Order: sequence, then structure tokens, then C-alpha cells
Amino acid sequence: MLWLSVVVDEACTQVWEAWRSGASVTSLRVSPAVYTAVAAARPAETARDYPLMLLGLPLVADAEVATYAPVVMRKDVRKDARKETSC
Amino acid sequence: MLTAEENEVLCRVGPGTPMGTVLRRYWTPAFQLGDLPAPDCPPVRVTILGENFVAFRDTAGRLGFLDELCCHRGASLALGRVEDCGIRCLYHGWKYAVDGTIMETPNLATPTFRERVKHGAYPVREAGGLAWVYLGPPGTEPPFPAFAWSAADPDELLVTEMIMDCNWMQVLEGSIDSSHVGVLHLDTLATMGAGPRSVGSFDFAGEPWDLDMPVPGRGGQGGQGQGPPARRPGVWPSDDNAPRIEVENTPFGFHYAAIRDVTGEPDRKFVRVTAFVMPYTAFIGGAPGAVIVVPRDDYTCSSIGVFPVPKGAGAARRAGAGTDPAVWGPEPGNRRIRLPRQDREAMAAGQSFAGFRGGNRIQDAAVQLSSGPMYDRAKEHLVPADLAIIRLRRLLADSVRLLEAGRDPVGRGEGCDFARITAASQIIDASQAWQDLVPAHQGSAS
Repeated sequence: MLWLSVVVDEACTQVWEAWRSGASVTSLRVSPAVYTAVAAARPAETARDYPLMLLGLPLVADAEVATYAPVVMRKDVRKDARKETSC
Repeated sequence: MLTAEENEVLCRVGPGTPMGTVLRRYWTPAFQLGDLPAPDCPPVRVTILGENFVAFRDTAGRLGFLDELCCHRGASLALGRVEDCGIRCLYHGWKYAVDGTIMETPNLATPTFRERVKHGAYPVREAGGLAWVYLGPPGTEPPFPAFAWSAADPDELLVTEMIMDCNWMQVLEGSIDSSHVGVLHLDTLATMGAGPRSVGSFDFAGEPWDLDMPVPGRGGQGGQGQGPPARRPGVWPSDDNAPRIEVENTPFGFHYAAIRDVTGEPDRKFVRVTAFVMPYTAFIGGAPGAVIVVPRDDYTCSSIGVFPVPKGAGAARRAGAGTDPAVWGPEPGNRRIRLPRQDREAMAAGQSFAGFRGGNRIQDAAVQLSSGPMYDRAKEHLVPADLAIIRLRRLLADSVRLLEAGRDPVGRGEGCDFARITAASQIIDASQAWQDLVPAHQGSAS
């Protein structure tokens, strides 16, 4: 069974860590399994071609990301607005 | 969000379900002690976690909490006679002691059966105006959650119970959700004297509308209104409806701070600390007691409030609480809530934000019930401000996984001093750690 509650908690914690450090967050990279589960849970949104989003962030499927280790992409707005890094 | 399968796991609580198995590893508040006021008084039928039980107080004053149906032919013991240190089934006269001992079997003369078999009986503790039971396997009880008010005299506590016809998770999540306070509870803030406030582009004048609302400082929970309050802008010193949320796990579950900017004071912050004690209890910043949410079954729960009150005030407030026929249902004690009429006229006129009279718990109940009997969390769009709710679900999910792996669920409180768990609501310097407000929780992060 896939536990989205774990995925969401890990991601949300990263978002707050990013905000506390002065960074903004840009997207959320998740495993293909998580992406598929979110898409399956929201057929109405995918049918309308709305982007899949979680915690207000666009969701990106990434085969390099482990199921329970999502990666919030951040942009350090204080130092370099063009630089995007993972948490 | 959750998948539909995970939502089912977290919501369903009956015997043999994953969450039902987890919840049976904690002490569970089952009923109000006031329901069994004296030895040999009438028994009560209790439904919790999808199972039916009978509770009674025997001749010696001891509480019994037994499987409801007689183990002979299945008649309800809630119909039974409570007498001579036991409860007797009306059907064929079988009699049980508080520990499940089968004392008499009038239609079975030989003693072999009653000597070898016991009726289902569960440990019971009396604390904080409530009877707490343990429904898990014998020998697996965690430390008892002896909160600061657990040993209080009944007349120093106000215990209220709202029976709500929706899944327990909707109510539990609402109890730890801080970011709705400055929105849904605008009418409460107005009655407390907070003055004008805004929600997005909506400007709320903040004139008190529900003058009978029970709010802290005006008669307290369950108290009666005492006329228009004086304007007290400091009562909610922030216009910030997007608090920063910080969460830490603790031996009892987790605690978190909702941190808001203080209007006009950039060097200070308004902090509300909420402590969540697995798996039912929330100590909410700004409230003197606790809110406990217990599933009766998958579609019904009890939201229990336990509030310390000045000595002598408990009985008087109980007498005045929960008796408005427009709000409370027809059950004994009027505990099942039904929503009062939403006053659309007052809303349109800007006099009321939510349109529900009765205070925070009525406003909360309105939105929690509005999601239906069991909310499908696959459709929701969580935001980072929901971190406390997200952590709650995480701990419950972790507990399911741990128990399935043969380990204890989280937050059973080993090594924890439950009496020192508290909440806080305070303005502090921006540089101060919010954990300073709840020092007994410090060093407890796991």
C-alpha cells in the first residue's frame, strides 16, 4: 500500500524548511508511483488538463526519486534568484 | 491528500480494521462519569470503536465495562438489573461481575462453565469526569494519560459532549487546525472584543452579534452571555491569516506552534501552541482544557470538552449547557448536535461572518458535518499551513505500519509526564523560541 500521508508530510516539512531559510519553492518531484497515485485520485482534474499539484506546487514525476523521499525544488531568493536547487 | 485506500484505513475503526487495531492500543474515553452517578444505578449502553458495550457501577461503586450482549443467548445487558455486586441479564438470569466473572447461571446448575469462562470485560479508569477503557490485548496497556485535570473534583470540571454524525477524522483534524481560527471564528473573536478584521477582501466590522455566545472571559465554556463586551483589540493581536507552522514530535504525539505577525509590533510574534496527545486529545492554544474526539463508529463520533472551571461552577454550567432545542438533539442529555439555522440575513448585513450562533464548537461542527459522513481526502488540496493535520495523519499511518510489523504504535507516552502537557497562546519576542512556553515538552522530541 502506498502511504501518501508519509510523502505529503516529508514534502511539507521541506517546504517550511525552505521558507524558513528564505528560499521560495518551485515544484515537487515525486516518484512515478506517487505521481500515478495522485493522478488516479484526481481524474476530474487530469481530464481537464489541469496540472497535478500537491501542497500548491506543480508535481513532477522523477524516476530518480524514492517513493517516500520527495524532493521540493527551491529557489534561493536572497542570494541568486536564478539558482534552483533541491532541498 | 490521501488515496481512497489510505483514507479508508485512517477513517474506519471497527474491530479488525488497521486503525481500529491501533486505537485499541491506547486508553479511550468511553462515557461521562455523570452517566453512572451512584452504586447500582441504571447501566448505560456505550458504542465506541464500532463495538457495543454495557457500563455499570456495582454495589461497591466499582465500574464495569463489559461486552454488551449476554454470552448465553445474546440479550443486551443494558436491559439488565444492577444488583448485589453484579449485573444480571433479564433473559435467563445470568449474572456478571465488573471483571467479567460469571457469577450465576440459573439455568445451568453445574459450575464448570462459569469457572472456566469469563465474559468480555475491559479495564476502566475514572479520570477527569470520564471513564477511560482499554480495549487492547491484556498486558499491552500503555501508561495512563493522567492529565493535570484528571484528579480534579467533578465540581471543578465542565465536561461537555457533542455527538456528531460524521467520521471522527473530520472532527479530530478540525481540533488541531489553527489556520481557520481567524476566519471561521470571526464571530467569536468579535464577541471577545477583537474588533474589525479582514478575510481576504472581506472587511468584517467585528461588532458583537451573538451576545449569548460562551467565550473565555465572558462566563467561560458553557457560560451565559453577560452583555456586550468592551472592545479589547489585544484579544487576537494579529491580522495574519497565514500563520507559520512549526511541528515537533514528542513522546505523546506532537506539538506545534502557529506563529503570526503581531499587528504594529514587528519585533514580536503571536504564538499559539497546540499539543496533540495520541490518538484523541488536543490541548488547544488559548483554551484552558482539552478537546477529545472519540469514534463511536465509522460515521459517528463524540467531541468531548474537558474544561477546568472555578470550584462550584461545574454543576451550574452543566445544567445550562446543551439544552437549546434548536441545536441539541432528542437523545438523553441532548448530546447529538444538529445544526442551528444559518442566519443569512445577519451574514448579508455584515453583522455575522458565519451565521451560526453558539460559539466555536457550533461553528466547527457546522463545517465538519458539512463534509458528509466520511470525507474523501483524495479530492482535497492541502497547503503548507495544514502541516499539523498532515503530521497527524502521518503519525496515525506510522502507527498502523508499526503495529502491523509487531511493534507499538507511536505516542503511547512512555516516560511522559502527562500532567505537564499544556497549550499556550501568547505574544513573545520574535527571537524567543516558542518551545519556551511549553517547557515540559522540551527535550521530548523523538
